[in-house]
Amino acid sequence: MERSFAREVKSLRLGNGDVFHGEGILAITKALLQSGVSYVGGYQGAPVSHMMDVLADARDLLDEMGVHFEASASEAAAAAMLGASINYPMRGAVVWKSTVGTNVASDALSNLASAGVVGGALIILGEDYGEGASIIQERTHAFALKSTIWLLDPRPHHATMVNLVEKAFELSEVSNTPVMVEYRIRTCHMHGRFPCKDNQRPTLSRKALLEEPAFDQERITLPPSTYSQEKAKVEKRLPAAIEFIREHQLNEVFDGDLTELGIICQGGLYNSTIQALQHYGLADTFGKSRIPILALNVTYPLVPEEVTGFCAGKRAVLMVEEGNPDYLEQAVNVLLRKADLNTRIHGKDVLPQAGEYIAEVLLKGIGRFLEKASPAGIDTGGLNDSIESAIHAKTRAGELLAGPVPKRPPGFCTGCPERPVFSAIKLLEKEIGKVHIAADIGCHTFSTLPPFHIGNTVLGYGLGLASSAAVSPALPSRTVSIMGDGGFWHNGLTSGVSGALFNKADSVLVIMDNGYSSATGQQYIPSTGVNYQAQPTGMTIASALKGIGVRWLKTVETYRVGKMMRTLRRALTTTKPGLKVIIAQSECQLARQRRIKPTVRKKLADGKRVVRTRYGVDETTCTGDHSCIRLSGCPSLTIKPNPDLLRIDPIAHVDNNCVGCGLCGEVADAAVLCPSFYRARIIQNPSRWDIWLDRLRRRVVFNTDATSSGSE
Amino acid sequence: MNPSQRPVCVLIAALGGEGGGLLTSWIVDAATACNLPVQSTSIPGVAQRTGATTYYIEIFPQPFDQLDGSDPVMGLYPAPGRVDIMVASELLEAARALENGFVTPDRTTLVASTHRVYAISEKSNLTDGRYDEESVQNAIAELSHQQYCSDFLIMAQQRDSALNAVLLGLVANTKQLPIPTEAFVDAIKDRGIAVDSNLRGFQAGLGWTPGREKEIDEPVQSVPAGLPDSLQRRVDALPAVLTDIVRVGAARVMDFQDIEYAELYLDRVDKVTAIDSAKREYALGRETARYLALWMTYEDIIRVADLKSRPERYLRVREEIQAKPHEPVLINEFLKPGVDEFAAVLPEKLGRSLRNKRDRLRWLSFSLRLGSHTILGHLLMRLLAGCRRWRRKSLRWQEEQALIERWLDAVCRAAEKDYAFGLEAVLCANLNKGYGDTFARGRGNFLRILESLIESPLRSESLEPDIATRLKSARTAALSDDTGAVLDAALPENVAVKPD
Repeated sequence: MERSFAREVKSLRLGNGDVFHGEGILAITKALLQSGVSYVGGYQGAPVSHMMDVLADARDLLDEMGVHFEASASEAAAAAMLGASINYPMRGAVVWKSTVGTNVASDALSNLASAGVVGGALIILGEDYGEGASIIQERTHAFALKSTIWLLDPRPHHATMVNLVEKAFELSEVSNTPVMVEYRIRTCHMHGRFPCKDNQRPTLSRKALLEEPAFDQERITLPPSTYSQEKAKVEKRLPAAIEFIREHQLNEVFDGDLTELGIICQGGLYNSTIQALQHYGLADTFGKSRIPILALNVTYPLVPEEVTGFCAGKRAVLMVEEGNPDYLEQAVNVLLRKADLNTRIHGKDVLPQAGEYIAEVLLKGIGRFLEKASPAGIDTGGLNDSIESAIHAKTRAGELLAGPVPKRPPGFCTGCPERPVFSAIKLLEKEIGKVHIAADIGCHTFSTLPPFHIGNTVLGYGLGLASSAAVSPALPSRTVSIMGDGGFWHNGLTSGVSGALFNKADSVLVIMDNGYSSATGQQYIPSTGVNYQAQPTGMTIASALKGIGVRWLKTVETYRVGKMMRTLRRALTTTKPGLKVIIAQSECQLARQRRIKPTVRKKLADGKRVVRTRYGVDETTCTGDHSCIRLSGCPSLTIKPNPDLLRIDPIAHVDNNCVGCGLCGEVADAAVLCPSFYRARIIQNPSRWDIWLDRLRRRVVFNTDATSSGSE
Repeated sequence: MNPSQRPVCVLIAALGGEGGGLLTSWIVDAATACNLPVQSTSIPGVAQRTGATTYYIEIFPQPFDQLDGSDPVMGLYPAPGRVDIMVASELLEAARALENGFVTPDRTTLVASTHRVYAISEKSNLTDGRYDEESVQNAIAELSHQQYCSDFLIMAQQRDSALNAVLLGLVANTKQLPIPTEAFVDAIKDRGIAVDSNLRGFQAGLGWTPGREKEIDEPVQSVPAGLPDSLQRRVDALPAVLTDIVRVGAARVMDFQDIEYAELYLDRVDKVTAIDSAKREYALGRETARYLALWMTYEDIIRVADLKSRPERYLRVREEIQAKPHEPVLINEFLKPGVDEFAAVLPEKLGRSLRNKRDRLRWLSFSLRLGSHTILGHLLMRLLAGCRRWRRKSLRWQEEQALIERWLDAVCRAAEKDYAFGLEAVLCANLNKGYGDTFARGRGNFLRILESLIESPLRSESLEPDIATRLKSARTAALSDDTGAVLDAALPENVAVKPD
């Protein structure tokens, strides 16, 4: 990771009287430091990678304060790190992408929650849900319920979010329970401001050591302690939490004059709710709403008296709760029943069961609620017109546009080293027929999208090989599993490779070794070569594989499409039994460009010789069939209007973003595609010899004078 | 403080890697410098990898010191009908904004660059899958309140700047934000990223006025070469609407072989135009002239070597890769002629026997990274190009001429019976394109269609009235996927003409 987060690190140092400006996830990072956190760990993933990136760069600050930071090997490792808070009054926080990270962490989380904590333990979750998400759509809420971990869903407002982090630590400590705080994608990336406090040195840290280890049988998750822990959860911890939430008013009530109605919303949806109310003229710019609102910054546990108190005397209340199942709507209904209140609860009857509650969805849903509840003093007759006028332009655009606007699915970057592997697979399939491909999580998952459509299943991070276990025996040909280097170290080495070896699986595994955890922002992984302290790690994928007994192992440079095809063909057809592993190796192009660009720029400025390589398509020989594009999908391999009066179809064209990886030429070769591709090397700051040779060649070859040809 | 005042809402649509994040930061920084409440958000995620993404900003027009400590509650989502400035970095992204209802006539100023970055579905189409730009222009005209639309990418490139800086200048230019111009300039300076070039771009956007910027260059059509008088006279004798395309066609054919071959081209064109009519604007003749010329100048290795070793090609490459005049450029060709390609240029008998031994002769096909900039490489290419004097004897020549005659004959007979049918038969020639497997597949499809949907119906007593439509749908099917599955479904069942 060659990016610099110096600017962000600076904002972590702000103190009393300063105003912080920045992204939500950075504000939360600052809040951890203001709360006297002792240790932080986590695993990268959108939308919370930024916390890991910035803390990795904030080494000096963390050292000064004595805060321990670790880039954990997986979310499970991060969750287990919170074990420090079981026996010792140390505040700790871990971070990952949810729900996938929470799935991975859930074993440790269950044990942690059962044992209970004495130091505040926070789990910061980037809720990867809705537009822009890259994972399965589920709710974290279920984990909170089943493990008795408190769940916060703060209102998107920097000062509130920061304050709630501090409160969450206190809540965790008074109730001896870990606390999850979930932030949606847009909240993590939300830019805002808050007044800072000084950072607090942790009471226990590398600089303030514990005297000796503590032992307490009650903290061990083995019977008989597990029975008393389960009882403690409901008898002691839950009441303590409810009492704290009530006393410190973690949930917010906003009064309004239409008292016969009410809205209860998850804190994270407060702004969107207000936005929709504004549309109907029921709220002003500053959030003053005519309908009273209860914003649940804590969505588990609910405070029964708070909910019943809010609902009492109201005819109808709308529960604004995103995702399914509707845990909150059910819980609110139960509370009202128990309190014998007859307030009608609306929720998923007027709002969609599934999907993100974007502006238009809430606008329509709240409109339906108003229509059903038809409060006195509001003309509900005009509601429909109001919605119609808002979406009129949308309807009209649908009529005017030539059809649905083509989607832009994410794809491999220009020059990505993973693309050639899939070009090779696609070409090989033309030769030997379809192969079952067990895909994995990482940039390489984009192979399942156009133009490749390669990959039959995706089962989770690092689980590509494991997911092929039962398919292999059921097919006549071997299966190919894909695994990224990130997934390999996360769990693929054990769940996939050692499992396949142990069970004598006869299949093929391709490991993408590009040097980083690329999809999440090029974070370091064991095979990067160094860790965040710039210490060499000496860990390689090949040595790990050999160490556990892989015998058929080939390393191929990914850009050699022909060689990749031959190696794959051999792996699929060899008579040798057992697991065949191909390490497809080449550095992540994003990281590479970030690394070499400044060097090249400097060389050019210093007048040093630099050779720039890029590829091109001859417009006179391109026939416009675009088969090269269907085998590549490179963003810089595109089309342009045909300059030929006779031809109509657009021709292939390499634009100036080309980084010269050479895949298009390799594919044209391997597929015996077409002779239109050329590689051009431009010699910048040429030497005298270069110039002399060039002049000679131009004079002999084209009979032209070198100085007068060319173009600006 | 005025509770009825509303924030100004800005939505930015961009592609991953285009700098939409930096554009957002500049705007946020400028608003912050003015002490205005501002909130922005984005959904980068996987879209960072070349997908479409958006950034959303709300700016409250009253500074904090006039708000008595209250914070406006600002939205995280753009709402239909509530966007004041819609910025789109590309035309299709503007279309997407329209499709989602974020551009409304009462409120939205649209700032959009009208250049195209093609989506994968547009690029990978077997013919032309480009989205209809005119419909986007029409929707923009009807649905936006004000337009700041032009090819701003060119504008940025001409100033050696970046598109996002030009877009920032345009946002300032719209005067819809409660932020003075200097604040944007300071924001660019304070961020410290490529300050000079970004300021250049910003000023360009700021100074832009509709209609003054040069419109998108029409693609440069290749200049028709001059023809010998004898040929020119024949071209001039044709209906006026045909002269341009036939002149280009004849010149192309002559360039491919010789004047005699060009005369053959004109003979063939005449044959078709003879049955064409002015009433139909000579569509049949025009399309025949087009596809016939392309077909007659088929791309064998002689042709490819010829085209790749010309001085104008060398200059075109230099221009395309933006090499400066003093910089040497080395060009390597990715050539991998297979057995079929060799066989094609050999004399008929020899070629056939080579082709029959295709499987044993795979080693003949090897990758050639021919350096066409080198003296030796160039000479080799010219040597190959020079083989055209023997081309008339080659296997492929024989095959192509025979098939061309067969196709033309079918076209004429079809057009005489049903003009639309004849025209569709002409257009089927577009299936003959590409190289290697792509060509073999296309040729195979062409033959199947020629046999089953053109020649076979012509042999029957009377034509079915919908034959033109059926032919058209078969042609479209052949071009809609490259496995042939769609075409299989579209063809009569008993047809199995295999490609050679």
